Amino acid sequence: MRLDQTGLQLGNFMSYLSQRQEVIASNIANADTPGYLTRDVEMPVDFSAAIEDARTLVVDTPDLPRHNDGNNVSIDREARLLAENTMKFNVAAQFVRTEIKNLRSAIEEGRAS
Amino acid sequence: MSLFGAISVSASGMEAQRTRAELITENLANADTTRTPEGGPYRRKDAVFTTAPVAFSFTDVLSDASGGSQGVSVSDITVDDSDPERRYMPGHPDADPDGYVAFPRIDPAEEMVDLMSASRGYQANVAAISAVKDMIARSIDLFR
Repeated sequence: MRLDQTGLQLGNFMSYLSQRQEVIASNIANADTPGYLTRDVEMPVDFSAAIEDARTLVVDTPDLPRHNDGNNVSIDREARLLAENTMKFNVAAQFVRTEIKNLRSAIEEGRAS
Repeated sequence: MSLFGAISVSASGMEAQRTRAELITENLANADTTRTPEGGPYRRKDAVFTTAPVAFSFTDVLSDASGGSQGVSVSDITVDDSDPERRYMPGHPDADPDGYVAFPRIDPAEEMVDLMSASRGYQANVAAISAVKDMIARSIDLFR
């Protein structure tokens, strides 16, 4: 296991989550905009390669039921995704911390925690 | 940096919902106003929301990049042009020769429902900001 490889994947995963968080924030902000369609970010197949342009992963979600004004934002779905996304981000951040701690421990020859 | 962009997007949502709430309170306050500077009774106002790209940084403005997400803005404030409600009040100073007074066509129940919707929308945006703040705080913790 190499730290830089794990770190890179976790970093890419965290960028994906921040991008998704922005799109969710945008959906919530537009919950009352007529004709607005919910957007989402596609999960990249491989996190080991850097995401070139995150904007290409943004997709519309047309299969959600539409309201009378043509808007299809479900505030419950967005609230769920918001919480889910934050938790995933926290888990990834915790992993990175552990990686850094392990590296530090190796540098200090296991003397300090 | 898209996490800060998410805060800008939510802030645009808060601003739009606050504008809407202000218009609703204005409508409720003027539900019985028969005189306005334009003449005639007060007319109900409503906000029209449109998606608007949120520029977070100077580079975003130059490259017209919004990171695939859009903020919201109040593009127009519509004024209700339906006929005013006529109430028979012969003693009223604004009564016409037949004794009818033109009152704004405002339904308090409808305004209250709209106000609840605006306030819930505002809260949802605040919740989104605190979630993003939490994520940023976790990222900063990585330096410790």
